[in-house]
Amino acid sequence: MTQMELMGQKPRRIPALLKDPLVWLIVAVIVVGALTSPYFLTPLNLANTMRNTAAIGLLSLGMTSVLLTGRIDLSVAATMVFSVILGVVVTVEIGALLGERWLVRGNQFAGPPLLVIAVTLATGIIVGILNGIGVAYLKVASFIMTLVTLTALRGWNYILTNGHPYYLRGPTFDWIGDSVYFGFPTGFLIFILVLVVLLVFLKGTVMGSRFYAIGGNEVATVYTGIKTNRYVVLAFAISGACSALAGVVLTSRLKSVDAPLGSGYELTAIAIAVIGGVSLAGGIGSPVRTVLAAILFASVLNLFGIWGVSTWYQNLTIGLALILAVGISSVRRRILER
Amino acid sequence: MTLSKHAASLRGISRIALIAGVLITGATTAHAADEPVHTVLNGLIGNYAQAARDSMTNESVKELFDKDGFRDYLDAYPVGELAGGFVWEPGMGATFTGPYSDLEIKAPFTDYLPLKEGPVLNPDKTYRIGFVFHGFNHPWLISLADTAAWEAARHPNIDIEVIDAEFDDNRMGQVIDNWVAQQYDGIVLWPAREAPMGPPVDRAIDAGIPVVSLDRRTSSQKISSEVLGNFYANGLQQGLYLKEISDGGNVIFNRKDLGSTADSIRTGAFLEVIGSEPGYEVTGNYHTKSQRTLAFQATADALQAYDDISVVYNTGGEEAMGSLDAIREANRLNSAPGGGKIIILANDDSKEVLKEVASGNVDMVAPYTPLIGDVGIRAVIQHIGAKEGLNEAPPKLIMTPNLPMITAKPMTIEGVKTVTPDNWLYAYGPAAK
Repeated sequence: MTQMELMGQKPRRIPALLKDPLVWLIVAVIVVGALTSPYFLTPLNLANTMRNTAAIGLLSLGMTSVLLTGRIDLSVAATMVFSVILGVVVTVEIGALLGERWLVRGNQFAGPPLLVIAVTLATGIIVGILNGIGVAYLKVASFIMTLVTLTALRGWNYILTNGHPYYLRGPTFDWIGDSVYFGFPTGFLIFILVLVVLLVFLKGTVMGSRFYAIGGNEVATVYTGIKTNRYVVLAFAISGACSALAGVVLTSRLKSVDAPLGSGYELTAIAIAVIGGVSLAGGIGSPVRTVLAAILFASVLNLFGIWGVSTWYQNLTIGLALILAVGISSVRRRILER
Repeated sequence: MTLSKHAASLRGISRIALIAGVLITGATTAHAADEPVHTVLNGLIGNYAQAARDSMTNESVKELFDKDGFRDYLDAYPVGELAGGFVWEPGMGATFTGPYSDLEIKAPFTDYLPLKEGPVLNPDKTYRIGFVFHGFNHPWLISLADTAAWEAARHPNIDIEVIDAEFDDNRMGQVIDNWVAQQYDGIVLWPAREAPMGPPVDRAIDAGIPVVSLDRRTSSQKISSEVLGNFYANGLQQGLYLKEISDGGNVIFNRKDLGSTADSIRTGAFLEVIGSEPGYEVTGNYHTKSQRTLAFQATADALQAYDDISVVYNTGGEEAMGSLDAIREANRLNSAPGGGKIIILANDDSKEVLKEVASGNVDMVAPYTPLIGDVGIRAVIQHIGAKEGLNEAPPKLIMTPNLPMITAKPMTIEGVKTVTPDNWLYAYGPAAK
């Protein structure tokens, strides 16, 4: 196998994609689902599955960008919720400065939704940049840095909301959360759009290739004169942006945001990225396979739900799949290094 | 109906109860012994709510009451009469073994919205009902699921699926969406938080599936029925008891999640009762997330920080046990000013808490029974029947009977006759060791 393949940069063609076991696993789930339940392939169920893929898939894409550099971001789920909460709070404050009351009785948000979304995305990016600065320039281990961020943001969420939810209703949130085009929910289309952008960036630009280089061998990358720190910050900023977008998609579906939302989702995001073949050691992985893993993950959970499988067994299955994926990744890396 | 209209209608109900309460309370002292405890407590709720609206003279209590916005929650929480003129009396209910816990259960409200054992509605049809809640690892919640599964099992043409969403609101929403896609006949849920469960419930209702919530509420305006607990009576009775046996003191609070219905209504009602009593001071205020370990830690910290704690208010039973453990470990049970015992106020009538009440360690517990899952199942079956034109639909608001507080010795406080642990048949959870 070539170094390009090791870096995950082998050009993908459709036939190559069809050789991917994840694709065949998804096909297998669809076939089993169709054979065992008359509801599995209904448009509503497929739309539900795609919606369930979107938010967690966006978190996984952000996680992929960080894992590629050999770091980890445990703050993705906390950032997801914090970004939306701060988006609402800041927008309401802007409204107050303009003499408008954008938070009405019952904590209903009544201001401009696009402003909330803009502030939300900016917040996610800023949180990511701060994480990146801490990791890259202050040399704090990414595990510690993002764990601290996770804890702080969870606490801050309660401070900002005082434990109360913010209700996000209106046409814009309905459009993001509920609308469907040709069978595809808007949230899922946003997820695919992010995949395309990330794919172009990682596979089609020099900056993107640096992520693989840093994750593959950071010391060597530094010796080639590449300023690795700025790429690490960029990876965390991408993760923050994906988290914020996941927050927009998720809260538009739930029509509300409150502090405890999404607890533990960071572990699911890591699991999906790793099941998709992203190496925890960095340097290996593809956002396409992360997306396939997210679809597989949501499809399996959906099928389990239809079968009435207890959540305990669902969690057990996810755990076993993760162990298997990490094991395969580890073995594969050792083989490639020989 | 908009949210504000919905809130207004609920406030309307509260006001009706309030007026009724004021009228009733005028005669409470004279007639309390003759009136059902539900009516007596509703009268007191109305009375103290009005008094708190008029003024709250204890600045320390008022500051907490205002800071956490309890007024909004309390005004929106319905207080009213029982469906179908049901009158609950101590001793009522069926005894059975919980399908999940394997514990013997006496469920108090099995005669409420009654359904005969055997096939229901169209006997030739099997009805699929989804029951989603959080927490197979929590004694209160297992008991809730026990009663729901028991009721479903009484009817051979009811097929129930029970799912634990593990305190993930998004996952609960996904489960409901999944059942909508599978065209279930009815859904019963225990929502941890109100806001995120409204949209999935609305989608189910739009798909023609009746939905009933248990205990806590959702933000849905369309929901078929809400089986509501007696949070208001819980907090009220904690306040009544405290007022009865003490003249004041420093109080620390072990509370549930900020914004949860259980915390907002219980703590709000408690503060309404003591809000104009001059002697009480809010010394510590902690949110311990219904977890015994966190309540232990918070109480241990408070005991370190203050040597003059008189009262520990707990929003739930787990918190009460955690605080009691901390007080015992610090050997401070009798360290209230003047050498008195620290008063421990609890909610949730688990067998473990009742044992401590009987021993005199916990001073009182306001019962909040989880044994209401059966009411939710019967309500949703009746909604399915109404949809098929087979029976009348149950009311949207299904209040569960207010239950009297439990104290070590029988007392009568403002017309409320307390029950002793030995005489309380409905305790849940494993037997205390």
